[in-house]
Amino acid sequence: MSAIEATGLRKEFAGGVVAVQGLDLAIPEGQVFGFLGPNGAGKTTTVRMLTTLLRPTSGSARVAGFDLARDPHAIRRTIGVALQEAGLDGLATGRELLVLQARLYGLGGAAVARRAAEMLELVGLTDAADRRIKTYSGGMKRRLDLASALIHGPRILFLDEPTGGLDPASRHAIWDEVRHLNRDEGITVFLTTQYLEEADRLCQDVAIIDHGRIVAQGAPQALKASVGNDVITVDVGQDRMEEATRALSALHGVTDLRPDASGLTLFVTDGSAAVAEAIRLLDRARIPVGSVAVSHPTLDEVFLRATGSRLEGADRTPPDGEEAP
Amino acid sequence: MTDVAAPAAPGHRNRVVEWVRSGLYLGQREVRLSLRTPAYLIPNLIMPIVFFLILIGSFSEFARAFNFNFKAFQLPVAVIFAVTGGSAGLNMVTDIESGYFDKLLLTPTSRLALLLGAMGADFMRIVLQGAFIVAIGVLVGTPIETGFAGAVALVAIASLWGLAYSAIGFAVALKTGNTQVVGTMWVFQFPFLFLAPTFAPKELLEGWLSTAATYNPMTYLLDGLRSLTMTGWDAGRLLIAVAIAVGFGAVTLSLAFRALQGRVR
Repeated sequence: MSAIEATGLRKEFAGGVVAVQGLDLAIPEGQVFGFLGPNGAGKTTTVRMLTTLLRPTSGSARVAGFDLARDPHAIRRTIGVALQEAGLDGLATGRELLVLQARLYGLGGAAVARRAAEMLELVGLTDAADRRIKTYSGGMKRRLDLASALIHGPRILFLDEPTGGLDPASRHAIWDEVRHLNRDEGITVFLTTQYLEEADRLCQDVAIIDHGRIVAQGAPQALKASVGNDVITVDVGQDRMEEATRALSALHGVTDLRPDASGLTLFVTDGSAAVAEAIRLLDRARIPVGSVAVSHPTLDEVFLRATGSRLEGADRTPPDGEEAP
Repeated sequence: MTDVAAPAAPGHRNRVVEWVRSGLYLGQREVRLSLRTPAYLIPNLIMPIVFFLILIGSFSEFARAFNFNFKAFQLPVAVIFAVTGGSAGLNMVTDIESGYFDKLLLTPTSRLALLLGAMGADFMRIVLQGAFIVAIGVLVGTPIETGFAGAVALVAIASLWGLAYSAIGFAVALKTGNTQVVGTMWVFQFPFLFLAPTFAPKELLEGWLSTAATYNPMTYLLDGLRSLTMTGWDAGRLLIAVAIAVGFGAVTLSLAFRALQGRVR
């Protein structure tokens, strides 16, 4: 059974802004699924729809086997959610927050205190349990948010950019926890991120979203293999880009060629063979080369191939303000 | 980690129990929040007392010339001032701005419990504030014609009005999600209070102010409450006061419920 299925899921906000345009998803149980895309691509809107916070304009979805429109209450019992901004009550202590959360999920009696203590232990906050949350660091707040999302033992965990703004040590701690939850507890994880490394390292499958549409989907290795064996990046300066594109179109073994802000990216079958020939062709056309690099493809190149721009540095947030809610 | 099975969906009767339990837990949290933010509470108590003491100090002798006790005349005003001036909806809008409200919406808790739990806790604050002002009034020698039972009725009816008024704060909190807007809501009690026989009997008001007072429900609410402090039990005047509080509450609670529906869509 799929943990999450969506068909034609669409969200249009007032003013005609379409944040998500007909999304289709089928995520098997037990997977860490990555939803990768730049700011404003529609990731958070998708999470808010799948977690019952936002009603889709059209389309349908089932989460943990329950219909999103007909049985949102059952979905809420089954999922755990840590949203992009760790929404916590700064005046409560960590323990008080978890106790209330447990009670709202229907836990009662001694189980509440025991479960809160277990969760605090799990995320390494036992020592800070009785301090007010407003005194916590950003990383501690994220960990507490994760604990509160797990308090009722959910089958599916939604994590919306769980490591955004965290230092590398806190980021790795969250990654370890996600791996543990998936591997040892069997929890299906739906994780949104704009970090390529995060998607690559954690996820068995990835969907890349841009402008509210999925532009590529599959296992990270398969996606990377689909764009070619190697990638050559050549910096020729923006003013010579067109000439360079023309000169390199004669190169053998090129599966695709994309100009972008950081230079010219060539997807090739054999990088070491093609790089010398590429430099020769540019030299013949009297185009000076600033730098040249050969590498294996990353998810950034997958995104470039699908959308024409690189993921890193891309921002789809509407110019008049924040990402749609 | 201990296995915790996601609790099964409750049956209809259990759902009601769960609904009440959730409301109580959320109300308990509101009380804790209020106790940890005394800055929201203290001005609500100090302002009505200061106004009450200044007014009775200034006008008691003047009122004696018209043959009525100004302390008994002003105590209901001070109580209304206390139960309507306040922080209704501020905790909720803070939760909305911080994202914590979303976390609560993600639990299986009834949406209505989220609102009614918060309003229940606010009602406790309102009752306590009203009772505190009455106690201060008695301490400074304000006569209450109907005695202790009348004082209880005064606090109860004023608190009903306070609850109805607080629903506006919750409606605005849910509709706007903006702390600054909710923080200004106390200002709107002034048209109710100042366009009514607040400082002088209605017979002494003239022109447009007298007309405005005739159509202002506050006039009849104060009249009922003053019957308790000044003249004795009067079922007719009290019933009108209760009906006004309940009627106003029906309107403002509807607004709050509609705003809640809009927020969770």
